[in-house]
Amino acid sequence: MNINNAQMTSVHESKRNFLKYIFSGSIVALFGSILYPILAYLIPPKQREVIVSNVKAGKLIDIEKDSGRIIKFGRKPVILIRTSKGDLKAFSATCTHLDCTVQYRKDMGMIWCACHNGKYDLNGRNVSGPPPRPLDEFKVIVQGEEVFITKKS
Amino acid sequence: MKTFWKKYYDWINERVMLDDLVEFMGKKYVPVHRHSIWYYFGGVSLFLFIVQVITGILLLLYYKSGEETAFESVQYLMSKVNFGWLIRSVHSWTANLFILTAMIHMFSVFFEKAYRKPREITWLTGILMFFLALGFGFSGYLLPWNELAFFATKVGTEIAGAVPLIGKPILIFLRGGEEVTGATLSRFFGFHVAVLPGIFTVLLGIHLILVQRQGMSEPLGIVSEQGKELKTMPFFPNFLLRDLLLWLIVLNIIAILAVFFPWELGKKADAFASAPAGIKPEWYFLFMFQTLKYIPAKLWIVDGEVFGIIMFAITGLLWTLVPFWDRKSSRGERNRLINYIGLLIVIYIIILTIIGWTS
Amino acid sequence: MKTNLLIFLFNVFTQITFSQLKVNYCFECHENIGDKVAESFKKDVHKEKGITCAGCHGGDAASEVLEQAMSKEKGFIGVPKGDDISKTCAKCHSNAKIMVKDFNSILPRNQYESLVTSVHGQLSNTGKERIVQCTTCHQSHGIVSVKNPTSPVYPINVVKTCARCHSNATYIRAYNPSLPIDQLDKYRTSVHGIKNSQGDVKVAACSDCHGSHDILSAKDTKSKVYAINIPNTCGECHSNSQYMKEYHIPSDQVKKFSKSVHGVALLEKHDLGAPACNDCHGNHGAVPPNVESISSVCGICHAINASLFSSSPHKKAFDKNKFPECETCHGYHEIVAANDELLGVSPEAVCSRCHKENENPKGYIAAQEMRQLIDSLENYEKYADSIVTEAEQKGMEVSDIKFKLRDVHQSKLQSRTTVHAFDVVKFKETVGKGIEIASVSAAEGKKSIDEYYFRRWGLGIATIIITIVVIALYLTIRRIEQNQSK
Repeated sequence: MNINNAQMTSVHESKRNFLKYIFSGSIVALFGSILYPILAYLIPPKQREVIVSNVKAGKLIDIEKDSGRIIKFGRKPVILIRTSKGDLKAFSATCTHLDCTVQYRKDMGMIWCACHNGKYDLNGRNVSGPPPRPLDEFKVIVQGEEVFITKKS
Repeated sequence: MKTFWKKYYDWINERVMLDDLVEFMGKKYVPVHRHSIWYYFGGVSLFLFIVQVITGILLLLYYKSGEETAFESVQYLMSKVNFGWLIRSVHSWTANLFILTAMIHMFSVFFEKAYRKPREITWLTGILMFFLALGFGFSGYLLPWNELAFFATKVGTEIAGAVPLIGKPILIFLRGGEEVTGATLSRFFGFHVAVLPGIFTVLLGIHLILVQRQGMSEPLGIVSEQGKELKTMPFFPNFLLRDLLLWLIVLNIIAILAVFFPWELGKKADAFASAPAGIKPEWYFLFMFQTLKYIPAKLWIVDGEVFGIIMFAITGLLWTLVPFWDRKSSRGERNRLINYIGLLIVIYIIILTIIGWTS
Repeated sequence: MKTNLLIFLFNVFTQITFSQLKVNYCFECHENIGDKVAESFKKDVHKEKGITCAGCHGGDAASEVLEQAMSKEKGFIGVPKGDDISKTCAKCHSNAKIMVKDFNSILPRNQYESLVTSVHGQLSNTGKERIVQCTTCHQSHGIVSVKNPTSPVYPINVVKTCARCHSNATYIRAYNPSLPIDQLDKYRTSVHGIKNSQGDVKVAACSDCHGSHDILSAKDTKSKVYAINIPNTCGECHSNSQYMKEYHIPSDQVKKFSKSVHGVALLEKHDLGAPACNDCHGNHGAVPPNVESISSVCGICHAINASLFSSSPHKKAFDKNKFPECETCHGYHEIVAANDELLGVSPEAVCSRCHKENENPKGYIAAQEMRQLIDSLENYEKYADSIVTEAEQKGMEVSDIKFKLRDVHQSKLQSRTTVHAFDVVKFKETVGKGIEIASVSAAEGKKSIDEYYFRRWGLGIATIIITIVVIALYLTIRRIEQNQSK
């Protein structure tokens, strides 16, 4: 009777312990599955955040006269041009014909699309070739040494 | 093992007298009866609020308020940040579930007449928190600065602006100007993360302390049905563990919703674009929105919209003040009228929400 | 005033009706005094039809007495001035009763209306009259039928008639400073112009393309020479095999052109940037482009292709063999949108026409390799596209990858240009860039899809964990309550 009782208690005890282990183990797992996404979330991603209101295009002295460069503006390319007179201009660098990326041609003094020889003048107007409409213009702001490009509002 | 935890417990106990609290909780009992299930909705609402606080703080790490950055930062959060999609979807889904459970909690309290003396203040703080929750929903909806939110806010603030006399100043105050602009976004952001949470936390504190001090209300009929000897269960651990169990299930439901129905971002708001077709407010505003649609443009000499708003304001006020005019319940008598009013309101809200949803 | 006009009209009417029967005393007197006008009127088609001077000038031609014949009572108006000139002509020429019944004429009767609405119907610089009156081209006295070789509007002469004003820089400048004045010179260099000067009346002269009374500006959409209408205008003659028979040239150019990439763009999409007949063959100096000039003609628009071709090894070989440049591969009137199938050594490709496997293995291999390159770029793009689409359908955010795919598209477009250098290394470079971006995009797309499954697996695992906790918690609660009830 006594033995039986003790046995019962030990079975009871082991059952109880088993539940305890399951319970505490699963709680640990639960916290893990909640904390893992949160901790992963806290680690900043490699790619920098997108700031599209304005983009720093570099220092004014680094931008040669009579040159052009492509600047990533959010998810769109923008072409920044410094004319031979020293004026700064910026346009969307996506050709209005078939979405190729345009470039500045020193020899022509024009914006040029390599895909189908589309040409734009330095006001973004489509002057020759297949482009059906002008390039969208962006605003260039010079603050001290720095050159910024912003959306034209 | 025991001694290890005991050491820390004793250390804290010596300083803040934990024993008193444990004793208090041990003595607290929750009535058990056929309406007990409704007791859980308060707890679930609390849990959802905690989820909102945590995910809200997490979102703050990446969210950038401002006309030019709000949409982009949410887009970035959704696409680039690890589990950003999960945090945002959980926040959005929980927001909706929170309002739903808070609503259920409120109506259950109303039908049980648990607001009667001595729990008038608990009811008042609860109702105020519910209104704040609607404010949370309305302000938070705009923050991603997408097309739908932009126009919903425009319409919503316009309705507020239709209130006579104070309407126009309210509209200017909410929008931060005549139009919905970046200034509106800044304000809503401020309301959503600073003003509302501050007030809400104070109210929640009062609400919870009162619930703990006064215990759960027993429905009027139950006392007479079961006689003096009410069946009860200890608040700790029985009720609290049951609460926890339910919270876990709710958490799982949120996770499933977030993964299978991720919250969409939509198109970026453009003030000059024409409003998209079928613009609708969030579901919890739908019944009011739909009602305003049905009221004729002119009622006698009053503007239909103004009439509707005033009616809603009066109803809201009466609803808030129900513990003070429902004298019968406070005296412990049955008041069937309250049930009929509540039922009418529930049916009205459900029907108009369905009409608004499907139209 | 009104009554005067009525009398005048009545007189004109009666005089025209009865002038055939009457003697023309005006003419007799004026001839006797040696009036040059009378001299030229001698051969006038109107005189032949029996119309007297009074037909236009009013008065009474049947009266021998000068004062009576040229009296206002008889409706004499003297020499019509300004717009009255054309109106005088229109009195009969726009009147069906007179033209058809009295003179049995089949001349069109809308000439005056056409003139008034034409570019020549605008007010002249004096502001008092239209630029051109009937007499400007047809003369006043001595008007003869257009079929008469002495007529100023006879096909051989009409070019000079138009040139009287249109080759006069001072005159044209007053109306349209941007209008060239060398049309006649150019015309004389064209096949049309040369044949015209040799007396061929069948070839096109000014009025055949521009219209006669109804001439409109080339910018007017109703004009016969508006870009979209040009193929039809040229086709009026060139599509008529009967008409073209003696010149031994085909008559299916317009038909072929309409099906070509240019024709579809111009005629169906109304893309005014697309070339019409004149953009390749010239307007007034219309000649067929010859073998060497083809690439410069096409190169007006396809500049990069033309310059790449000119510096390619093909240039020399084509010149030596007298192959027309672009045309050899692309055809001419029936140019279809060039696709990748033109390249390579498959039966529909053009390279193997010359580069036979055993005769010219170097070119054969190069063509084969370039085709393989562009095909693989196409396949890479399609693959990347399908991956990204799948990721998108799974609700993943792929706008960044889609942005990258734009560059693949660009590299594909550029490779189709680069191919005209016929340089495998250069071609490989352009295509390689695209392939690289495409494979990167595809890899990112795959990652996105993996992420999709990761989310579901993560949810599954979390659900299992939560379920276990819930069950364990439930059992714990039951145990606690069992213990309490003991």
